[in-house]
Amino acid sequence: MKKGILFLFGIIFSLSCFSQTRLDSVQQLDEVVLKSDKFLKTFSNTQSITTLKDTLLSRSAPSLTQLLNYNSNIYFKENGLGMVSSPSFRGTTAQQTVVAWNGININSQFNGQTDFNTINIRNFDAVSIRSGGGSVLYGSGAIGGSIHLNNDIAFNQGFENSIYANYGSFNTLDLGVKSGFSSKKFSADVAISRSSSDNDYDYVDSDKTNLNGAFYNQSVSANFGYKVNAKNVIKLYSYLYDGEREFSFIFPSETPTKYQDLNSRNMLEWNGLYGKFISTLKLAYLTEKYKYFPNTNLDNYSYGEAKTLIGKYDLSYTIFKDAMLQGVMDITNTSGEGSSIGKSDRTISSFSLLYKQEIKSFLYEAALRKEITNNYDSPLLYSLGLQYKFGNHYTVNVNGSKNFRIPTYNDLYWAGSGNTNLKPETSNQVEMGHQLDFKHVSFSATVFYNDIKDMIRWLPTGSNWQPVNTDHVKTYGLESTLDLKYHLKKHQFTLGGTYAYTVSKNKATDLQLIYVPKHKATSTLNYQYNRASLYYQTLYVGEVFTLSDNNPKYILDAYFVSNIGLSYALGKEKQFTLGGQIKNIYNENYQSVANRFMPGINYNFYLNFNF
Amino acid sequence: MKKQFKFLAFTLLMGLLITSCSNDDDSSGGSTNLGEYDNGYFVLNEGNANPATASVTFVGDDGIVVEDVFRLVNPTAEEIGSYLQDIFFDDTRAFIVSGSANQVTVVNRYSFEYIATINTNFSAPRYGTVENGKAYVTNSAEWNTGTDDFLTIIDLNDYSTSTMIVGDYSEKITSDDDYVYISNGYYGSGNALTILNTNTQELTSIDLGAGNSPNSIIEEDDDLYVLSYNNASNGKIFKINTATNAIENTIDLPASLVDAKNLVIEDDTFYFTVDASVYSASMSSTTISDTALLTYNSTSTYGVMWGFNVEDDKIFISDGGDFDSNSNVYEYSLNGTLLNTITVGVGPNSFHFN
Repeated sequence: MKKGILFLFGIIFSLSCFSQTRLDSVQQLDEVVLKSDKFLKTFSNTQSITTLKDTLLSRSAPSLTQLLNYNSNIYFKENGLGMVSSPSFRGTTAQQTVVAWNGININSQFNGQTDFNTINIRNFDAVSIRSGGGSVLYGSGAIGGSIHLNNDIAFNQGFENSIYANYGSFNTLDLGVKSGFSSKKFSADVAISRSSSDNDYDYVDSDKTNLNGAFYNQSVSANFGYKVNAKNVIKLYSYLYDGEREFSFIFPSETPTKYQDLNSRNMLEWNGLYGKFISTLKLAYLTEKYKYFPNTNLDNYSYGEAKTLIGKYDLSYTIFKDAMLQGVMDITNTSGEGSSIGKSDRTISSFSLLYKQEIKSFLYEAALRKEITNNYDSPLLYSLGLQYKFGNHYTVNVNGSKNFRIPTYNDLYWAGSGNTNLKPETSNQVEMGHQLDFKHVSFSATVFYNDIKDMIRWLPTGSNWQPVNTDHVKTYGLESTLDLKYHLKKHQFTLGGTYAYTVSKNKATDLQLIYVPKHKATSTLNYQYNRASLYYQTLYVGEVFTLSDNNPKYILDAYFVSNIGLSYALGKEKQFTLGGQIKNIYNENYQSVANRFMPGINYNFYLNFNF
Repeated sequence: MKKQFKFLAFTLLMGLLITSCSNDDDSSGGSTNLGEYDNGYFVLNEGNANPATASVTFVGDDGIVVEDVFRLVNPTAEEIGSYLQDIFFDDTRAFIVSGSANQVTVVNRYSFEYIATINTNFSAPRYGTVENGKAYVTNSAEWNTGTDDFLTIIDLNDYSTSTMIVGDYSEKITSDDDYVYISNGYYGSGNALTILNTNTQELTSIDLGAGNSPNSIIEEDDDLYVLSYNNASNGKIFKINTATNAIENTIDLPASLVDAKNLVIEDDTFYFTVDASVYSASMSSTTISDTALLTYNSTSTYGVMWGFNVEDDKIFISDGGDFDSNSNVYEYSLNGTLLNTITVGVGPNSFHFN
């Protein structure tokens, strides 16, 4: 590991020396805002990316689940409001969706997934959704798609501060404070957020209440940028998350349990712009720790703790105008242990080569990645994308890729059960996207087909449970989005909508997987007049099977939930926004997981102050 | 092996996973019909994380199958819980144990009409028995230790409860003549029996010897029969005299029969299972053959022989299936001929004869 990082350093120093001679002023350095996750811009042209920011974030509840549930094609299986939340992106499993923090994959080393209720969106400037395979760029798990939590580093903005406060039903509090300063050469911002709730809502049409469902979480993030000179920028990203959740009951006499998370992420990044070369060195250190209390009344808990050190170097070279070649090397060393996992180390290094070229209306991008590790046999991953623009209004994309999900720490090292002979899950997929853009309307539709092999499942073998490579699943379907914008004098109308049709079948039985709805749709209608905004938001989730034989007796009904909100901007520069929301206005009685009832009508009020 | 269960608890975000089955053998055998569900047997379907899949199936002697008897009879009653673990009876009542809900639901054993829900003083309840007007239910509490295992004692007049610490892995339970017998074995941990004198509340422990972890306990004609598993040695059937608490006899199982479970005694014959096979031996024999009486066909990866029993010249086997869909019960004759295949609920784990 150490040798590898030294090696990386060696390369970058020699490179920076030989490229010093070129003095082209590269445009990127003059940019006022620097993005951390460049692949979203550079090598994601032929796949669909949606970015959510600003008002969409401030109008959303703080959990990533709620933001994405109402604004994307991703389906969420939530064990009651705020409880464990697993995404299904294009009909895949929770472990087949990557969450990337400033470009770094942060899925748990233990179970390979991110619980979307343990991410507070207030600490990020933008949340992007990238549909489809992305293992070449983002590593293990990017099969259904990936979610990107990004912080921007801004220069030349002076002081920028904001306060966000929201209070609502069930004693739910959501606070965010952000303070930033930037000059021409230096940038710093710090954000603190806290979210908490008693979460003791009454079930609709029932005399029962959500018991043992309280939660809180708090996060601190700090980001710094320093332009050393015209060619070099140093950036530092830091993030700390601390949260505790009780797990709500189905039956009032259950044993109370709770779960604690403590995660930290730090990354140092050095960008060098040397003429046709752009070099980026990243060093990241991530820690994750959980504690599960099987009985809250006792002090006993089980835990898992992992520390990950990542060194990543990438160098891109603009061969000629509109053609770019990029090479990436990274080394990841993880050391983890837990109540049932002896201290285990694993090191994975990988090499990628990416190429992109634009020829008039035609663009193609191709990428290869190979991992080297002694933990499992790693396949050669690839991605190939083609784009053609028919004039200014119509674009067609075709993309095919091979992606994977590697076995997790639990899969490999669980005491007495871990199976070190596991192969990664692999997915071969193709998709075709159509994009129409006009002045007031844009529309996109993507059809996809995904064949996923060697899915890892825990099954008892004799008296012992072991993970094995077993299921073979195919998913296919359609993802679509529609955006309308229209304004007439001081009246502004916008409508955003998504619809997804998803089939996800076990190849052996030809039956739909449980908890994958065939239909999901969202829409947000917004009307703004002068300083006032009124918006109406809907979510439709089709019925899901809860048994593998698709037994109709155990279908979970479809649900349709609507929220309404009003906000008003005050102050000379509209620096104050006051808002109120009524959620689930029709008091729909719905469950996203069987017997995990969600709240009925509820209210919240918020204030946003920028200064 | 407890750790695998902790892992499951973690991944399923549920406190429990139930395995094994009960041999609650309390047939009334009468010819009079005491209610709709007299003259037949109940299959307990433990269900999965979705409580709607936890159910009781009734199979009548006439072959008529009634699904989800509890909700059929009691559509508006309190739910029976999930991860159903055991049913035990007294003369008129049936008691349904839910491991995750920490509750016991009381119904009329013949009409299945709801009587009460008992939900105090439980922590991961396992199995129950009735003796002297009281019900005794074993509780595992924390999975990774036996020291906190306890009994919940239910007064069957008013359903009030109290607890008594056993302090050793407490699983299967049976009773007779004022005594309650508990097998202190849990997936290879624990190697004793505990005897409770219900008159004096006195507990006595019988050591089965290192590594001999009991998984079945039966009281028959004032003797106790215990089947044990030993991961370093042969499985054994112990015979214990209940008057002296002395181990009177020990029969070694052949070394080829690893991880034997589900001891049942019917008509002076031992029956037990290893994987998908059923073995039998006369109670008077001193050795046991490793030739199977029958082997049933299972495609279940992890629910093979999830439930087993022998009653009135029939062998009953339930297959766990995938625990995500309805599964099957197989009825065999005593010489191993398949008589019937019956579709029941999710994760059928035990048979209870009415």
